[in-house]
Amino acid sequence: METVLRSEEMVEITFLPIRHHSPACAWHVKQVIEEQRPDLLLMEGPCNANGLIPVMTDEETKAPFAVYYSYRDRLGHISEEKGHYRCYYPFLDYSPELAALREGRRLGIETAFIDLPYAEILAATGQGRGLLQDVEKPNYNDDYLLSRNRYLQQLCEKAGLRSFDEFWEKYFEIRGIRESSETWFSHLSAYCELARKDTPQEVLKAEGCLEREAFMAARILERARGLAGKAAEAETAGSGGRIVVVTGGFHTAGLKSLVSGEQKSDPRKNRIGEENQEVYIMPYSMEAADALNGYASGMPCPGFYQKIWEGLGSGTFPYHETVLDMLVATGKAVRRKSELLSTYDEICALQMADGLAALRGKPEPGAYELRDAVLSAFIKGECNLATDRPLRILKEQMTGRQMGKLGRDAAVPPIIRDFELQCKRLGLKSRSALESEVTLSLFAVEKHRCTSMFLQRMLFLQTGFARRVKGPNLQQKKDHNLIREIWKYKWNTQVSAALIDVSVYGGTVEEAAVSMTKQRLGQEMDAGTGAMLLTQVFEMGLDVQMEPVYQRVHELLLQEADFYSLTKALQYFLDMQRLQGLYRTYLQLDELTVMCCQKLITCLPSMTRIRDEDSEKCMNACKLLYQITGHEYRSLQEAFFEALAAMGQDTELHPGLDGCIHGILYGSGRETAEDVAGACRSYLTGTHDQLLKTARFFRGLFYTARDLVFIGSQFTEMLDHFLGSVEGPEFMELLPELRMAFGYFTPGEIDRIAAMAARLHGKTGEELQRAKEVLPGWYAYGKELDAYVMAKWKD
Amino acid sequence: MEAGKLIKPPVEVRYAQELEALRAVDDGIRPENWKMSPKAVRTFILGSREAIEYNGRSYQIQKKYFGNDALVERCIITLAGNRGLMLVGEPGTAKTMLSELLSAAVSGVSTNTIQGTAGTTEDMIKYSWNYALLLAKGPVREALVPAPLYIGMEKGVITRFEEITRTPAEIQDSLISVLSDKVLNVPELEEDGFLFARPGFNVIGTANTRDKGVNEMSSALKRRFNFETVMPVREAALEKQIIQNEVNALAKEAHIQMQADEDVAEILASTYHELREGISSYGHRIDKPTAVMSTAEAVSVYYQTMITGYYYGNGSISVDALVQNLVGAVSKENKEDLEKVKAYFNTVIRDKSSKEGGVWKQYYEAKKWLK
Repeated sequence: METVLRSEEMVEITFLPIRHHSPACAWHVKQVIEEQRPDLLLMEGPCNANGLIPVMTDEETKAPFAVYYSYRDRLGHISEEKGHYRCYYPFLDYSPELAALREGRRLGIETAFIDLPYAEILAATGQGRGLLQDVEKPNYNDDYLLSRNRYLQQLCEKAGLRSFDEFWEKYFEIRGIRESSETWFSHLSAYCELARKDTPQEVLKAEGCLEREAFMAARILERARGLAGKAAEAETAGSGGRIVVVTGGFHTAGLKSLVSGEQKSDPRKNRIGEENQEVYIMPYSMEAADALNGYASGMPCPGFYQKIWEGLGSGTFPYHETVLDMLVATGKAVRRKSELLSTYDEICALQMADGLAALRGKPEPGAYELRDAVLSAFIKGECNLATDRPLRILKEQMTGRQMGKLGRDAAVPPIIRDFELQCKRLGLKSRSALESEVTLSLFAVEKHRCTSMFLQRMLFLQTGFARRVKGPNLQQKKDHNLIREIWKYKWNTQVSAALIDVSVYGGTVEEAAVSMTKQRLGQEMDAGTGAMLLTQVFEMGLDVQMEPVYQRVHELLLQEADFYSLTKALQYFLDMQRLQGLYRTYLQLDELTVMCCQKLITCLPSMTRIRDEDSEKCMNACKLLYQITGHEYRSLQEAFFEALAAMGQDTELHPGLDGCIHGILYGSGRETAEDVAGACRSYLTGTHDQLLKTARFFRGLFYTARDLVFIGSQFTEMLDHFLGSVEGPEFMELLPELRMAFGYFTPGEIDRIAAMAARLHGKTGEELQRAKEVLPGWYAYGKELDAYVMAKWKD
Repeated sequence: MEAGKLIKPPVEVRYAQELEALRAVDDGIRPENWKMSPKAVRTFILGSREAIEYNGRSYQIQKKYFGNDALVERCIITLAGNRGLMLVGEPGTAKTMLSELLSAAVSGVSTNTIQGTAGTTEDMIKYSWNYALLLAKGPVREALVPAPLYIGMEKGVITRFEEITRTPAEIQDSLISVLSDKVLNVPELEEDGFLFARPGFNVIGTANTRDKGVNEMSSALKRRFNFETVMPVREAALEKQIIQNEVNALAKEAHIQMQADEDVAEILASTYHELREGISSYGHRIDKPTAVMSTAEAVSVYYQTMITGYYYGNGSISVDALVQNLVGAVSKENKEDLEKVKAYFNTVIRDKSSKEGGVWKQYYEAKKWLK
C-alpha cells in the first residue's frame, strides 16, 4: 500500500495492488477501505462497465457472475478480418474488486472503473497477445503476468514449492491473513515490482499494458482534480480528499510512477465508438471460474477459497477448519459411492495435512496439504484411474457448485428478450426450471415446424435449453420415416448465460444462429462435414441471408479431393432436396448438387483399385450417380457412362465394382443379359484366383441389378457352377461376401432362387429343405464301397 | 562396518557423516525415538541449498531422491503417524532406495529388513526359536530368535518389508493386528509374552504392481497403510542426471577410475524414456516393449558398459558395447521386444543420427548388434 500525495491537487492517492480472486487480498482491501474511508474508489476494469456497478453491488445479485464485453469489429479497427470479439471478467465473493465495490456501496463511497473500454484494449494489444490470445474464453484478468517470469521460478525453487499458486497460498494467503494490511500490501508491492522488472518493455507494450496504464493514470489525475475542485468549493483547504485505487499488482508500479509524475505518457484517444460494443452482466458458475478447467488466470479451487472467505468473517483463521470440513465432506461422498472409508481414515488424513503444514513451514494446512492428505490416506493401493475416485471427488468439492444470480435490475440483452418473445409466441415455458416435453407434428402443423426451428437454433447455439429425444435425424441419416419430433426443454440461469455468451453474434436467436453458421463454416473442414452443417441450417430453417454459406460450401466442394467425403455431401444434398417440401425450407441446392456430381464423375475413373472395405461406399456412390443422372440431372448422364466405361478399361478393377458397373449398364439398357453373363463367365473360367473373386463380382452385380437372376436360368447355373468349384475352407472364406450378395434379395426372392437351384438338380425347393438324414453307418458304408470300386477300376 | 570393504554399504554407513552432522545441527521437534526431526529427514533426502557447518567441516547435503518432493514429505509425515507406509509402483522406480533413506534417517538403521519372497514364512517376520536353547531351557526369552518385526517393535525402529506382494497373502496378513494394536503376543512366553511396540516403530513396505506372480493385498492390510505411488521419472533431462549420478557412485564404490560420459548418458536416458513413454521427442509413435524400461535398468546397462570399457577398452566407453548390453536388458521377457527396439532404431535413432550427428551417428551404426 503506497500513498502518493499530489501537491498540485492536495489529494492523497492510495494504491492497492491486488491479485484477482484472493480471499486474503479481498479481506485486506476491505480493511483498508473501512479504515481510510476515501472519497473515491477507482478500480481496474473497462470503463464501459461503469453503468453495471449498481447491479453488481445489488443485494440480490449473487456471485459468481461475470461481466461480459463484446465488440463487433465492423470497421476493421482490430484486424482486417472484422471479427467478433468477447471477453469475460469474472467476479467471486472473494474478488478484491467486488469486495471494494460492495464496501463502497455500504459506506456510500463513489466507485468507478478506469481502464480503457474493451474495444480500445483490443486495439492496443498486439496480435495473439493479451486479450487477443486464441483461447476459447478470453479473460480480462492478467494475473498471468505475475506468474510467468524467471524470477518466480527461482523463488519457487528456493522455497521448495511446486507452483506460483502454492507460493501464493503459503505466503500471501495462509500467512497473509495473519499480517496487518500495511505489511501485506507492502509484501505484494515488492513482489509485483520484482515481477515487473523481469518483464521486458516490448512484452509490456505487446500486452497492451502501457496504453492501459497511461489511460488509467490520466483517469486518476482527472478524478483527483475534480475532487480537489470540489474541496476548494467547499473551502476545506489543506485536505483535498482521498482516493483509493485498486488495480492488478502488476500495473500498480507503472501507475504510481505515472501518477506521481516520475514518468510521462500520452493517454490514448478514444478512436472506437460505443456503437458496436456491448457489456452485460451474466451469472457464472464456480466450475467455469476454476482455473483448472482451462481458465488461464485466477486462483484454482474456487470452492475451497470461497469457504475460506466465508470463514474469514468469523475472526478466526479458517484454514484448518476448512480442510477438516472438506475432508469430512469428501469422506462422506466417497462412502456414498460405496467405497470403504472409515472415520479413522479421515483422522489420519487430518494428521497428514497438519503434519505436512508443519513440515512445510505453513501455519495451517492449505489446498495443497488437503490434496496430499486425501492422496495419502484415502487412496488404497496404487493410485490409478480405478482407485483415484477420492481425488476426483475432492476436486469437485474444491471447485464448488455455486451458481450466480442477478438482481432484478440487471439489463437484459436483446437476444434474451428475443428468446422470451419467441417462447411466448410458440407457447413454450421460458422460465420453468422443470423439464417439459413437447411433441411436434413437424410436417402437418406449420406452427410446430416453427417451434422445431426455434429449438434447433437453440440447440445449435449450445445453450443447453432443449434436446431432441426423438425425430428424423438428417445428420446421422436415421429415422427418416418419423413424422414427429419429441423435444425436452428446461430453462436455468445457464441458458441465459449461454445466450449472453452468443449475443456477440446477433441480437436475435436467428441472427446469432446465422452468424454462428458462417463462422463455423469458415473453419477448415471437409466437404462432407460442410454439407452436414448445411443439414443443420436446413433443420433450423435458415433460408434467408444464406448466400455466403452456399459460396463457402461451394468452395469446400471445389477443394475436396476425397471421393468418399464428396459422396457423403451428395447424399446430404439429395436427402434435403427430397425433404424440402415437407420441411417447408427451400435451400438452393441445385448448383451444389450438380457441382458435387461433376466432381464425383471426374474422380470415378481413378477409383478402380480400391480396398475391399471401401467397396460398399464406392458402389453406393455409383448407384447414387446412376439414379440422379437418370432423372433430374440428365445432362450429366453421358459423362457418367463415359466414366464407367473408363473404369471398365482397368484390368485390375475391383471385382465388386465391376459387378456393380455391369449391373448399371444392364439396367440402363447399354448391355444385354448375355454381355453380363459373358463378364461373369470370364471370372468363372479364369485362374483359380480369378474364380475366387466371383463372390465379390456377384455381390456388386446383385447390388445394382438383382433382377438378372430371374431372367432365364443362366445366372443360377453360373452360381451353381461357382459353388461347385470351390473347396470347403475356401467356401468358408467366401461365405461372408456371399451372404452380403444375397442380402440384397427379399426373402421371397431368396425362395425363388432356392427353387431354381433345386430344379437344376432335379428336385423341388421343398424337397431340398426336407432332405433325408444320412445315418453315419450308411455314410461309412458308402465311402468304403466307393473306395472299393475305385480300387477295382484302377486294377 | 567400514564402507570401503562392502559392495554396497547400507545407507547409514555410506552417509554416516552427513547423518551425524544433520543430527548435531537439528533443532526441530523430534517425534519420540526418532534420530532426527522430520525437517532434517527431508533435508537428508531432498538435499539442502546451504552447506551445514559441523565440527569444523562443511557438509553440502546432496539430493538423493529425484522425482516427487511432495511424495517424500508425505512419506515422512506418514511415518510419524499411526499407519505404515506402503510404496507401490513399477519396478525400478527407486522405491527400495527411498525406503532405505527414510529408515536410515528416522531410525539410524536401514537393515532391519524382511526380504519378501514366495517362500517367506511367519517365522521370518515375527520370531523363531533357537531349538538347542529351547530344549535346554524351555520357552524363555533367551531362546527366542527375534525377526525384523520383533526387533522393530522392541527397539522402536523402522521395520522394512521388501517386496511384500511376493509373499503369500496369508503371511502378509500376520502384520494386520500388529500394525493396529502395536502389540505382539508370544504365547510360549506366557505372561511375559506381550511385546508392546516402542515409539519410533513403524513399517515401510515396498510392493511391485507390474511383475508377474504378485499377490494381491487384502483390504484389511491395505487399510493399515498409507499408500504412495512412485512414478517413473517423467523428464528425460532428470533421468540423464540420475543415470550419471548413480553410475559415478557405483564406479567409485568399485574403484573404477572412470566418469560417466554425458553424451552417452543422454542417449541412454532418451532411449529408455522414449521406449517407456511410447513417443519420441520428434513425435514418432513407438511400440512399447513389454520389458520394464526403468531408470534402474538404464543405470545397470550403462554401468556394465563402463566396466567393459574399463577392463577391455582402455578406459573408454564404446557405443557398440552399450547397444550389446541394451539387447541383453530388453530381451528378457520375449523376442518381440527386440523387434520393437530395432524398429525404434530404424525410425527415431536414424532421424536423430542424421540431425544431431556425433555420438548419435555411432549409436545408429551400432544397430548391427541388435539381433
